[in-house]
Amino acid sequence: MGPAPAGATGESEVMEPILESIGKGGKKASSKKRTVAGSPVEGLLQPVKLSRAELYKEPTSEELNRLRETESLFHSSLLRLQVEELLKEVRLSEKKKERIDTFLQEVKQRILRVPSTPETELMDQAWLPAGVRVPIHQVPFTVKGCFRFLPPVQVTIVGSYLLGTCIRPDINVDLALTMPREILQDKDGLNQRYFRKRALYLAHMAHYLAQDPLFGSVRFSYSNGCHLKPSLLLRPHGKDERLVTVRLHPCPPPEFFRLCRLLPTKNNVRSAWYRGQSPPGDGSPEPPTPHYNTWVLQDTVLESHVQLLSAALGSAPGLKDGVCLLKVWLRQRELDKGLGGFSGFLATMLVTFLTSTRKIHTTMSGYQVLRSVLQFLATTDLTVSGISSCLSSDPSLPALADFHQAFPVVFLDFSGHLNLCADVTASTYHQVQHEARLSMTLLDSKTDDGFQLLLMTPKPMVRTFDHILHLRPLSRLQTACHRLKLWPELQDHGGDYVSAALGPLITLLEQGLGSRLQLLGHSRPPVPEWGIHQDPPKHRDSGALTLGLLLRPEGLTSVLEMGPEADQSEAAVFRQLWGSRSELRRFQDGAIREAVVWEAASVAQKRLIPQQVVTHLLALHADIPDTCVHYVGGFLDALIQGPKETSSTGEEALAATVRCYDDLSRLLWGLEDLPLTVSAVQGVHPVLRYTEVFPPLPAWPAYSFYERLREQASLAPRPDKPCPAYVEPMTVVCHLEGSGQWPQDVEAVRRVRAAFQLRLAELLTQKHGLRCQATATHTDVLKDGFVFRVRVAYQREPQILRETRSPEGVMSLRDTPASRRLERDTKQLPLLTSALHGLQQQHPAFSGVARLAKRWVRAQLLGESFSDESLDLVAAALFLHPEPFSPPSSPQVGFLRFLCLVSTFDWKNNPLIVNLNNELTVEEQVEIRSGFLAARTQLPVMVITTPQDRKSSVWTQDGPSAQILQQLVILAAEALPILEKQLMDPWGPGDIRTVFRPPLDMYDVLIHLSPRHIPRHRQAVDSPAASFCRGLFADPRPSPLMPVLGYDPPQLYLAQLREAFGELALFFYDQHGGEVIGVLWKPTSFQPQPFKASSTKGRMVMSQGGELMMVPNVEAILEDFAVLGEGLVQTVEPRSERWTV
Amino acid sequence: MVARRRKREAREAEEKLPSPPGYSAIPIKFSEKQQACHYLYVKEHSVREGTKSTWPQKRTLFVLNVPPYCTEECLSRLLSPCGAVQSVELQEKPDLVENLKEPPSKFFHPKPVPGFRVAYVVFQKPGGVLAASTLKGPLLVSTESHRVKTGIHKWISEYTDSVLDPEALRAEVDTFMEAYDKKIAEEVAKAEEEEGVPDEEGWVKVTRRGRRPVLPRTEAASLRVLEKEKRKRARKELLNFYAWQHRETKMEHLAQLRKKFEEDKQRIELLRAQRKFRPY
Repeated sequence: MGPAPAGATGESEVMEPILESIGKGGKKASSKKRTVAGSPVEGLLQPVKLSRAELYKEPTSEELNRLRETESLFHSSLLRLQVEELLKEVRLSEKKKERIDTFLQEVKQRILRVPSTPETELMDQAWLPAGVRVPIHQVPFTVKGCFRFLPPVQVTIVGSYLLGTCIRPDINVDLALTMPREILQDKDGLNQRYFRKRALYLAHMAHYLAQDPLFGSVRFSYSNGCHLKPSLLLRPHGKDERLVTVRLHPCPPPEFFRLCRLLPTKNNVRSAWYRGQSPPGDGSPEPPTPHYNTWVLQDTVLESHVQLLSAALGSAPGLKDGVCLLKVWLRQRELDKGLGGFSGFLATMLVTFLTSTRKIHTTMSGYQVLRSVLQFLATTDLTVSGISSCLSSDPSLPALADFHQAFPVVFLDFSGHLNLCADVTASTYHQVQHEARLSMTLLDSKTDDGFQLLLMTPKPMVRTFDHILHLRPLSRLQTACHRLKLWPELQDHGGDYVSAALGPLITLLEQGLGSRLQLLGHSRPPVPEWGIHQDPPKHRDSGALTLGLLLRPEGLTSVLEMGPEADQSEAAVFRQLWGSRSELRRFQDGAIREAVVWEAASVAQKRLIPQQVVTHLLALHADIPDTCVHYVGGFLDALIQGPKETSSTGEEALAATVRCYDDLSRLLWGLEDLPLTVSAVQGVHPVLRYTEVFPPLPAWPAYSFYERLREQASLAPRPDKPCPAYVEPMTVVCHLEGSGQWPQDVEAVRRVRAAFQLRLAELLTQKHGLRCQATATHTDVLKDGFVFRVRVAYQREPQILRETRSPEGVMSLRDTPASRRLERDTKQLPLLTSALHGLQQQHPAFSGVARLAKRWVRAQLLGESFSDESLDLVAAALFLHPEPFSPPSSPQVGFLRFLCLVSTFDWKNNPLIVNLNNELTVEEQVEIRSGFLAARTQLPVMVITTPQDRKSSVWTQDGPSAQILQQLVILAAEALPILEKQLMDPWGPGDIRTVFRPPLDMYDVLIHLSPRHIPRHRQAVDSPAASFCRGLFADPRPSPLMPVLGYDPPQLYLAQLREAFGELALFFYDQHGGEVIGVLWKPTSFQPQPFKASSTKGRMVMSQGGELMMVPNVEAILEDFAVLGEGLVQTVEPRSERWTV
Repeated sequence: MVARRRKREAREAEEKLPSPPGYSAIPIKFSEKQQACHYLYVKEHSVREGTKSTWPQKRTLFVLNVPPYCTEECLSRLLSPCGAVQSVELQEKPDLVENLKEPPSKFFHPKPVPGFRVAYVVFQKPGGVLAASTLKGPLLVSTESHRVKTGIHKWISEYTDSVLDPEALRAEVDTFMEAYDKKIAEEVAKAEEEEGVPDEEGWVKVTRRGRRPVLPRTEAASLRVLEKEKRKRARKELLNFYAWQHRETKMEHLAQLRKKFEEDKQRIELLRAQRKFRPY
């Protein structure tokens, strides 16, 4: 089941805010005590109980019909219900429709009553009243012709309102005003004359309508973002202001323009007029103006379109449903808005086209219509093979090829003259196709809740694309247009340099990014609104042009752009593209080729090669300096870079550690003198699955800094020095073969294992000269500066721990905490580690995402409530179940989706299924879900299932508690919009660490620690400018002594605090260099309690109203905080008086 | 907070410290520097009639709420003014049985992190118990002469102690295994001796070791047998053979659909309640 929509974040009615409820019944117990059997908890699904009679009663024919229909028309009954609910939600209610209809009647009357004006020259606009400005840029101003205002001859409702396919919110009703023939003259189609008249017509009308009290607001906007075609927006007065927006579109009388003048090959904007030059005498033909022609054409067909559509959709409710669903689908993907968007109108036309070609039948359900349209979009590339709804085979009609020449995307309407997709860029269409393909695979897979992911999950740009790139200021594109020699396009677009430059720029970047790129999307400039007394907004006012890059992970590994061989003709093209960056290189196979080499040493830098490509190409070809390009791709890298590291995000260090581990495992395999042979060596530490936030660095201790324990040949910390560097041993499980020689008694097995640990240490020292140190449970091995903790394991030991003998002597197997722990550590953890290791090989961004996610959770001081493995699995889910997105290829987008998943996933009613290695079939997943519902109350609050762990959710057994999880959900829901806003801000992200700083105001007590004794002080989110020497050399030198292992005073301190005061308070700490421990009192423990010998811990007796009650001895406890952490604790700062009872 | 403390101090001065019935309170704090005290609640160890306790009657003092930094030695030193202390035992929770076994191996049972605990203090003479109940205090855990390590110093010394000598471990393992092997050998010998020998009533115990081994007596084995039986029966059964069987299968399918439909309806109901059908 996918993430729930954004509305889910405000579920405060079902989970109490953390402050009131934290600590209810303790951390561990709370998950199990959450529900009392029998009483249904609000917002929790209960297993359905139907009586036998209800289940097996005779079916009615109606019921049978419905069931049959569901099976044939919809995917499942759930989907059917969901679609019905959604349509109910977005459809306009009958009541509102009535209100809108009466409003429309009024509007019509008002419009027809606007007075006429005497005829004047077009350029003489002095007659316009003072309070209104012409809603069009009149560049150049000089234009021939006369204008007078006459009321429209006809006012018709066009568009989706009439068809009943308009969706909430933002209800728009389009009114077409047919201008009288007297206003227009011959040749008005030329040189923007028609558009100027249209604008003046609206301006005059606006002036009169603005005085009418019926309207709450009268404003201008561009219809479909085309800045030559303003439209007038009318909204009702008073409380109905948000009910509806009526848009007025003036249009010419029917058959006023001759269609042959408006073919895509014709010119209707003369260069002489537009550029103010005399025509070039050499007789070179005028450039065609296809977009201009289309805009004129659009106005002529408004009415005929609506007739056609109502004929096609009129009697088929399924088609209307389908159109509504398509509109929702497009809107969730932000594809329908702005100039050149794939609008709802286009979707409607596509549905009619498919109906006419019999791909869709009128009896189909809305879901089937959606599916068919998506199927069509996914498989048809309109940029290559355009389609036409025109059925006639008239030879006078223009050829499709002409349209392909003029427009990137071709979809002709029934007349065969108008390209409906004229403004849609190739890149937008490719994005639509990409989305359709993703959606189709999702629908075909049948595993997830397609409805949620398809129609309810928003896909904002920042969360969809791996990297984002802002071009600002937009005025820079004007120079780019000149540099790219785009004068004909400017002439065609009437000076809109953003649209004119967009296409060529995108083509250029696509060419340059080549194999690194999967998809390049761009934001569509939003359609502005402005008051009637204002000038229309300038092109540069729409902020920034934002491009999104969806990267191809396999293309990101190479630093080389290989060109053609030097003597081939393509070499010149290659050199032209790359300019001075292209150089001749001789390759190993002897070929001499043109090539471009980018500088990138680490994986992190390689991920950012697209930035180098983009800035280079834009500067070279479009004259856009890198100061105008704001590339958002690696801002979050800083948070997973090691201290004093700037170029790498740790992937290299992790790989080095894994290599060292591989060497060690080879040594272990090769040990011959062990009494039993090694049957498996498996890593279990997070480093060995690439998810440790800060990878370990080889430790070369400086002896003078330490106490030397001569007998054991190891080092120990010294009280007079700062805490030494933190060296964490990496655990490796080493399975020994089974044998009859193993004892069958728990204690004896432990002794034998200890003997093996000793023997292992001995052998590794003797044979390979490694410094080893054996204890009863593990052997620490020092290799190349890394320390590995080898644990010997015996396959049958969990089995032995489980055995219990009943009084009758029957042996049975029962899970015990010890057996579960052992099984988890020696069986499940190695499996998980190897599966995630494999995932990293498939998706190189996994490491970065998992580490950023973990870093964030820990920085919020919640890290200790979540096991490492559970967070790794959540990160893995982003890659294995990315729907409706594609798997992330950059840590940035992965982290955003992590926040989104955490904040919107309905943990109460769904298990998070992480299908590692794709082992679970659809049926098994269904089974897991139903099993989950039945056992919900016994399961932990957060349930993560994997193929290896289908029932118990081992990694979340010990936490988080419901309150902690809820706190994480709240924090993630807060962090996501902040971070997205920062990243989408074209002028820079500001302080990217903002969302990583924890809120401290909720804690009752803060314990400030001394940095001197925090070994990982430098890893802090705000890395300290100076810290202490930790007794390490920077360069390798052989060391015969074992460094100090796992010595972390804050952790030792926390363990003591939790043991002593765990009943009274919760303790929160960021293990990565946190300087503060947050303490939260548990309100329930602060209730005065009667005396009980078993619960006196840290409490004292007070007499309250003559009765002796136990209350926590807060003053003494606060002082204990300081006593227990002597040397480590700087101050204990009580911040609230909440405990006073 | 300050006001409250002052008020309490004033009250403490004039009256006896409040303590639960039967107990008396002794203030205890870490050192001179601390302002506030924890309170030890002590009483003579006594048990109800009929319950067995291994602690010596009359001479044992039961102490509640011992702070984490207070060790056995420390408690012994603090209570010695009341009379010679024979032994002190700190425990997680009250336990009537004295832990007489030898201390667990430090290799296999590392010391747990201490929290607040209870203590059984055995005095050499019964007088000590009485004297302890009237002790005034406040007791100081750490003084000039007897410094108790906490914080960094404690952790460093613990770290040093945790680095153990492998040779000692080897010796311990060897002794344990020797004893274990001996025990197993004895068991085997005994079993062999009893093999096939009838007991007083003439029953012969059949074991896996005998000449004709039997199924092991485990749950898994019996489940396996049952499973096998079930499969055998299922093989023989005919499916959809009779008309009524056919009808039932159909009805079963319908019931499944109905159940699914109900489940879906519930899901939708929930989502609607949470307003999850607002797409944006």
